[in-house]
Amino acid sequence: MAKSPESIALEQLDKDQMKTFSDFLMSYNKLSEMCFTDCVRDFSSRVVKESEDKCSLNCMEKYLKMNQRVSQRFQEFQVIANENALAMAQKTGKL
Amino acid sequence: MAMPQISNADQAKLQLMQEMEIEMMSDLYNRMTNACHKKCIPPRYFEAELGKGEMVCIDRCVAKYLDIHEKIGKKLTAMSMQDEELMKKMSS
Repeated sequence: MAKSPESIALEQLDKDQMKTFSDFLMSYNKLSEMCFTDCVRDFSSRVVKESEDKCSLNCMEKYLKMNQRVSQRFQEFQVIANENALAMAQKTGKL
Repeated sequence: MAMPQISNADQAKLQLMQEMEIEMMSDLYNRMTNACHKKCIPPRYFEAELGKGEMVCIDRCVAKYLDIHEKIGKKLTAMSMQDEELMKKMSS
């Protein structure tokens, strides 16, 4: 049976969603590892201390805020690069 | 639609190139985020807010990283073009 355009679109959506989900899981794991290494150093007790708990939550929040800022700046750069490329293309097209 | 003269094989190639570029961009982004986190955020998390100095550091880090990325790319292409020319000369 031939695939309908809807099912192809659905497949594409699935692929994108899966990619987003796997990216999310990867960053989750990375974040846990990073904040654990930075915040938990004392193994004289089994329980997570309040300071360790607070530190890891702060670590996560700060990382997300940093990521937001990096993505903002990155987008700004890309807009400028696109404009430059467009101007360049127009210039060479006219010449 | 826009360019009907492009064949199917070329179109597939073009799409693959685009996908590779997107992949490369996201890899660049991840590496940059890691590098700037390492360089700008000290591992002492007393608070969840970004400090002013940290913000400035991140802005500069992103700008510098992308600058270096571009410069290395230019140099790399120049060097590989030089290599290619040399190879052509050697073979002829």
